[in-house]
Amino acid sequence: MSILDIFNLNGTPKPPVSQTRGHLVLSSLTKAYNGSPQAGVRDLSLECKPGEFVCVVGPSGCGKSTLLNLVAGMLKQDSGSVVLDGSDVAGPGPERAVVFQDHGLFPWLSAAQNIGFGLKMAGLDGSEYDDRVADALKMVHLANSGQKLVHELSGGMKQRVAIARALVIDPAVLLMDEPFASLDAQTRTLLHAQLQELWVETSKTILFVTHSVGEAVRLADRIIVLHAHPGRIRREIAIDLSHPRDFDSRDITELVHLVRKEIEDEVNRVTSETAEFWKPAGGSGVDRGSLGVGDGI
Amino acid sequence: MVLAWTVVLLAWEMGFRLIGRDSFAFPAPSQVIDSFFDLAGLRTEFGAPLGSHWPMPAAGLHSANGEGGITAIPLLSAPLISGLRLLIGFTISIVVGIGLGLAMWRFKLVNSALGPLFLGLQTLPSVCWVPLAIVIFGLRESGILFVLVMGSCFAIAISLRDGLRTIPPVYQKAGLMLGASGWRMYRYILLPASLPAMASSLRQGFSFAWRSLMGAELMFIAVDRHGLGYLLELGRSFLDTAQVVAVMAIMISIGMLADRCVFAVLERRVHQRFGLVANS
Repeated sequence: MSILDIFNLNGTPKPPVSQTRGHLVLSSLTKAYNGSPQAGVRDLSLECKPGEFVCVVGPSGCGKSTLLNLVAGMLKQDSGSVVLDGSDVAGPGPERAVVFQDHGLFPWLSAAQNIGFGLKMAGLDGSEYDDRVADALKMVHLANSGQKLVHELSGGMKQRVAIARALVIDPAVLLMDEPFASLDAQTRTLLHAQLQELWVETSKTILFVTHSVGEAVRLADRIIVLHAHPGRIRREIAIDLSHPRDFDSRDITELVHLVRKEIEDEVNRVTSETAEFWKPAGGSGVDRGSLGVGDGI
Repeated sequence: MVLAWTVVLLAWEMGFRLIGRDSFAFPAPSQVIDSFFDLAGLRTEFGAPLGSHWPMPAAGLHSANGEGGITAIPLLSAPLISGLRLLIGFTISIVVGIGLGLAMWRFKLVNSALGPLFLGLQTLPSVCWVPLAIVIFGLRESGILFVLVMGSCFAIAISLRDGLRTIPPVYQKAGLMLGASGWRMYRYILLPASLPAMASSLRQGFSFAWRSLMGAELMFIAVDRHGLGYLLELGRSFLDTAQVVAVMAIMISIGMLADRCVFAVLERRVHQRFGLVANS
C-alpha cells in the first residue's frame, strides 16, 4: 500500500496505521576516519521498531551525520551491520529515503519534477505518475507550487518538497539529517507540526538527526544522545507523550528543560572528568562541542 | 557612451583634416568608413575634402572590382568563410574539450597527467601553434582548424573540469537514494547538473577559438579561401591602414556580437534556471 493511499486528502487524519516495514537494526556499527576531521562512530548498536520516531542528538562532531550516512548506504562501515527488515544494507536505495540538511533538490527541475524523480527512475509514467506527484504536492501543502523552480521556493517550501520527494517513493524508513537546521524558528515550528502530522498518518520509521534538544523532544518517541570521540550512545531517553503533540504544552516545555538539564549535567560531569572529551575534532573550545541548548528549538 | 564616442571620433576627424594627412600611420574615421564601403563593393569618398558631391564619387557608387558574385564583396564573403571555419573548428574543439574535461574530472590519473600540461598549454598564445600546424598539415584549411582547436579545446577542458568539481555532492547522493545509478546517474544527474559549467566553458572556449582563428588566418594567407585574417594582412601589405582598422573593427564586432547574443544569453538562461543569479 502506498503512503498516498493511506493519506486522507479530506484532511481528517485516519487512525495510525500499524506499520510492518521499517524495522532497522544497527549492530556494533563502526566507522573510523583516521587523520580526518570527520567524526566516526564506534561499536554503535541501535534498534528502531517499525513506525518508531527516533531522534539522534549530539554536539557537532559526534558522528551523528556519519551514522545517518551509514544507514543511508552513502558510507561503508568498517565493521558491524545495518539490517533493514531482515536484509543487509549495501549502498543507497529507495527503501531508505533521505531528507538532506541543505535539501539537495535538483535546481534544473521544477518542484513537481523533483518529487517525481524517484518515480521516474522506478519506471513510472502516465496518469499514475501524475496522480502520485499531485498527491505528494498536496500532502506537503504545495498543490499550487508544483511548477515553481527550486530557487523560487522559500527555505521551508524547499524542505517540504524534499520531504515529499522522499515519501512519494514509499520508503521503509525515512532518514532526516538536520533537515530544519537552516530554517527560521517560525518555519521550523510549522514544519515540526507538518512532519508530525505526516508521521502519524503514514507511520513511517523515522531516524532524525539533530543538534537541537527542543526539536528532538517535540518530535521523537525516543531520543538517542551521542557523544564524540568516538561516536557512541551516551543515553537513551523515551518521550512518553502521545501524538500529535501540542508543542506549547507545559509537558513539552518541562520535558525540554529536563532533558537539557540531564544532558548538560552529563556534559559537565564528563568535561570535569576529562576536559578534552567534548571537544570536537580539530576544535579548540568546549563551546563548539556543547549541545544546541537554547538555540531556538 | 555613444555621445562620448561621437565626440572623440569627430575631434579625431577634425584634427586629421586641420593638422595634416598622414593616413599611413593614422587614418581618419572617414577613411575607415570608405574602407568599409570598399570592402562591401561600393566606392565612397567620405575621406575626400567636403564638396558638393561628398561623399559620392564622381564616377558613381560601384567600385572597380565589381565583377559580381559574393567574392566581390569581401565584407560578406570573408566573415562567411571565417564563420564557417569557426563552426567546424569550434565543433571539433567542443567535442575534444568536453571529452578531455570529463575524463580529467572523472579519472584522477588522467587529471594528474594532463591537468598541469593543459594549464601550461592554455598560457601558450595560439599563434604559436602555427609553425607546428604548417609542418604537419601544410598551408591548408586543416592547418587553420588545427590552430583553432589547439587554441581553444584546453580552455574548454580546464573550465569544464573546474565547473564539474563545483557540483554539490548532495545531488549525487540524492540521485542514488532515488534510484539513479549507473548510466542514469550520468544522464539524469550529472549531465543536467553540469549545464552551468558547460555554458561557461563554451563561452570561454568561443573567445579563445575566435582569437585563434583570426591569428591563424593572418598567417595562412596562401590558403585558397580568404577569411577576415587575410583581409587584415592584405591591408597591411598594401599599406592600406584604413582597411586594417576597418577589418579589426569587424573582427571585434563579430566576436562581441557572438559572445553577447549567443554565449552570454545561453549562460544567463542556464544560470537563471539554476537560480545562480539574483533577481531572475
